[in-house]
Amino acid sequence: MNDILFLLPEIYLAFTLALVIASEVAYHGEPRRLITGLALLGLGGAFIQTLLAFRVAPVLVLDQALSMDGLSLFFKLFFILLGALTLLAARSSRELSEVNRPEFSALIIGCTLAMSIAVSATDVLVIFLSIQVLNILGFLLAGFSKRSIRSTEAAVKQLAFGAVAGLLFLFAIAMLFASTGSVSLLDLHRQLVQAPLPNQAALVVFVLIFLSLGFQMATFPMSLSAPDVIEGSPTPVSGYLAIAPRVAGAAVAVRLLLVLFAQPELEPGRWQILGGVDWPRIVGLIAGLTMVSGALLALRQTSAKRLVAYLAVVESGFLLLGLLVLDQVGVGALLYSCLMQLFALTGAFLVLSHFWDELGTDRLSELKRLPRQAVPEAVALVLFLASLVGLPPLPGFIGKFALVGVALQHQWSFLAVLAVLAMAVSVIALSRLAYGLMGDLRALPSQPASLDSRPRRIFLGALFIPMFLLGIFAEPLLAWVTRSIRFILW
Amino acid sequence: MSHHLITLMLLLPFIGAVFQAFLPQTDKEGSKSLGRATAIASSLAGSICGLLLVVGMQPQSSELQALEVLPWIGSFSISYRMAVDGLNVLPVLLIAILFPVLIAAEWDQKIGRRGMHGLLLVLQTALAGAVCAQDLFLLFFFWAMSSLPLYFLIGVWGGPQRETAAFRSMVAAAVGNALFFAALVLIYYSIEPHTFSLSELSGGKLSKQTFQILGADLSVAAVAFGMISLGLALRAPIWPLHGWFIEVAEEAPPSVFVAISAVCVPVATYIFVRLTCSLFPETMASAAEGVVWVGGLNLVIGGICAVSQRRLKVLLAYVCLSEVGLILIGIGSLSAAGMVGAVYQQLALGLGVAGFGLLSGVLMGRTGVGEFRTEAGDPVLGGAATHAPMMALVAGVVVVSLLGFPGSGGFVGHSLLMIGSFSVHPGAVLLGCASLLLATYYLFTLYRFVFLGPEASPRAKAIQDLTLREQAYLYPLVILLVVFGIYPKPLLELVRPTVLALLGSIQ
Repeated sequence: MNDILFLLPEIYLAFTLALVIASEVAYHGEPRRLITGLALLGLGGAFIQTLLAFRVAPVLVLDQALSMDGLSLFFKLFFILLGALTLLAARSSRELSEVNRPEFSALIIGCTLAMSIAVSATDVLVIFLSIQVLNILGFLLAGFSKRSIRSTEAAVKQLAFGAVAGLLFLFAIAMLFASTGSVSLLDLHRQLVQAPLPNQAALVVFVLIFLSLGFQMATFPMSLSAPDVIEGSPTPVSGYLAIAPRVAGAAVAVRLLLVLFAQPELEPGRWQILGGVDWPRIVGLIAGLTMVSGALLALRQTSAKRLVAYLAVVESGFLLLGLLVLDQVGVGALLYSCLMQLFALTGAFLVLSHFWDELGTDRLSELKRLPRQAVPEAVALVLFLASLVGLPPLPGFIGKFALVGVALQHQWSFLAVLAVLAMAVSVIALSRLAYGLMGDLRALPSQPASLDSRPRRIFLGALFIPMFLLGIFAEPLLAWVTRSIRFILW
Repeated sequence: MSHHLITLMLLLPFIGAVFQAFLPQTDKEGSKSLGRATAIASSLAGSICGLLLVVGMQPQSSELQALEVLPWIGSFSISYRMAVDGLNVLPVLLIAILFPVLIAAEWDQKIGRRGMHGLLLVLQTALAGAVCAQDLFLLFFFWAMSSLPLYFLIGVWGGPQRETAAFRSMVAAAVGNALFFAALVLIYYSIEPHTFSLSELSGGKLSKQTFQILGADLSVAAVAFGMISLGLALRAPIWPLHGWFIEVAEEAPPSVFVAISAVCVPVATYIFVRLTCSLFPETMASAAEGVVWVGGLNLVIGGICAVSQRRLKVLLAYVCLSEVGLILIGIGSLSAAGMVGAVYQQLALGLGVAGFGLLSGVLMGRTGVGEFRTEAGDPVLGGAATHAPMMALVAGVVVVSLLGFPGSGGFVGHSLLMIGSFSVHPGAVLLGCASLLLATYYLFTLYRFVFLGPEASPRAKAIQDLTLREQAYLYPLVILLVVFGIYPKPLLELVRPTVLALLGSIQ
């Protein structure tokens, strides 16, 4: 019975999903608009229930298959918030037709449910299954505009790469199971501490798992598909796909790497490598390649969505920085950066979606045609992205500082240099976008702001508030996230 | 002390900027004048706080005054630490004087006036914060914050090539800030316990620290010194990194260019002195020679390039380049008089360049041309002194001060600088004298081509004398230039003790 109480957020999400599907079948016409509201209500309920769970000590539920600890609760809150913001942001998009709105809500809730399970799973099979569900739902989301060729292409890429990543993961857990006879993370950890895998086997398992998670996180070799998917999808979906799989990948990576390939040190809050594979070196290499390649490729893009997608890839590299130092300060900085990306990317894609509705394109050279009353949105876009890349006065900078700082603290000087370089190049890439936006503001006639822009502006403003609060109250927040991961269960 | 003048100085303009953003957008006359009134009022209020701060300072003390400390991000030991001392009192004064003037100069801006005023107010906050910050992180925070408003100010209100100019300025700022940031992180982690407080970092604590990169041992102080200098050189125009500055000079509206050349540039030199002399005294002592060389190069190249210019604002850009070179010579001399002169010259340079830039804006507004001589070398305008006597007078004082004639602000700075540096680097000082002679040639040619002689074209007749509003913001500048030139004693008394203390720590 207790297990059920801890699973309430997931149960809420599952019920909401069922209700949304049922009401989509049952209702036609005007009541359909209520379905989004219903979905939001369900997400709100799950959010509150997750907050309540914070008060309880970390526990394992469902026969040790799920762990309700600080890490999983943090990410559950994150994904529920992301789902709600995406539904709200997509409200006025013209790319998603009114008829398909309930399906969109259902898919978003499905993804939220899958990710909630993925981040709390302590069973490699459950992790595998939930990630696969996420990938398949992502495929449906990417192909949401069925008539658009690019959307279809995005969907196919998502499916193909997702399938490959899934197989790699499956192969890795098969190898683990073959040598230990267990699929439970805690069991695996116990056995690996006693008898580590031989070096070659451990290296293969690590590379397989890391490549597979690399697809989720959009890190270097696997990052090449992400911009295609993000660019091709309808813009509200792009925003979701630019955040959700990457952060889910990071969350799973924290758990897997720290449990399978590391063990806690005597000093609390730090880990050391388990076995003979010096994997932080590999992660460091990939982090550097991801950041630099992402930033350089962002410099050459001609499509705004693709440019932002590459900036998101750079962020993935930064997330890896938090991972490879193996202490809770690093993981705390990672979580903080994730939060910052949530607001910055959601806001950026909301503005891009608005531009797409206005212009029907996201070419940088076409953005000049924006009407003059879009100036506040343009400024908001620049501010969101500047915060994302960590341009100093804006709050994203503190997350970057923390991540670069932990890298330097652990003698990863070269990586810190690459990180700063990537930051500078991303700022230049961003100013190319801003350059495109500036256009002929003065040539266009001024018109009073139309009424329908008001909800969007209020929503944009509302996204800024938590972002700036994150910057101003970075101190308590960093302390809170660091505290919440102290209870990762082994 | 319990007054929060520094915080008020930062906060009031910022509140004004936020107010500009949220003012309802209507074309009604009342709303327009409300916007303008709040912009100038908030800027003035911030300036008055700055002036009170300067007036309230104790002379003959090298201590930090009006210190305000508030923990901000404790886990990274970042605190809100603000104070003034002899080094930053003059930049504070400069910012306090110039920003209300800039807003007054853009009083009648036709396009997006509220946006422009708002951005100028944000810039005022950022620069004042960078000047007063006594915490490395905070200093960087405000300094980097100043680059974003400039980008928009150039990109939206600039000339035909504004996007390119804005883009180039942003690239320079991004690279400069990245270098600065890298130095900051390096400094923070090389010292135990980790700290950002300038007073805790000072005193040569960094000189013995080393770090490893790719197997090589490097000295933290040397690397950080290099990165900070390079980072600042990208924001202040130092040859050969000045390309963006010249482009901005051509494209930016005059008031924005004044904000860059008359405020950002002195602030950059101030940050250079503050950080290098207090954080890496030993590195500074060994690199002083190089600083003088860079200064000399700037001086000569700026001067030679200025001779051949036909456009007012570009000429001003090269004058600024060459003046920065002079300031660097003063800093590199590491002598008391030279350093005090360099600090004083920051103020004089700022006021002189501001007067020049705003006047060139007025002239361009009247005549619609940015050039003062044709390709053949004949005057484009000419004869303006007869129908615009006040303008000619103001321009005269500004030019004279830029040249450092006795009785003007520039004289005090120049002469102290040269006296102080002569014993250390006589060659550099001779170079300085030569380039001042050159400056006399090109600035007086400019003056002659615009204000004296016969009218070369009908456009010259269009030059009306200064309007009441222009008088209101140009007269104070000119009067202050003269006052600071005739009676510099109170300001020098504020500067001297801090400079002596700083030099004492270097030697």
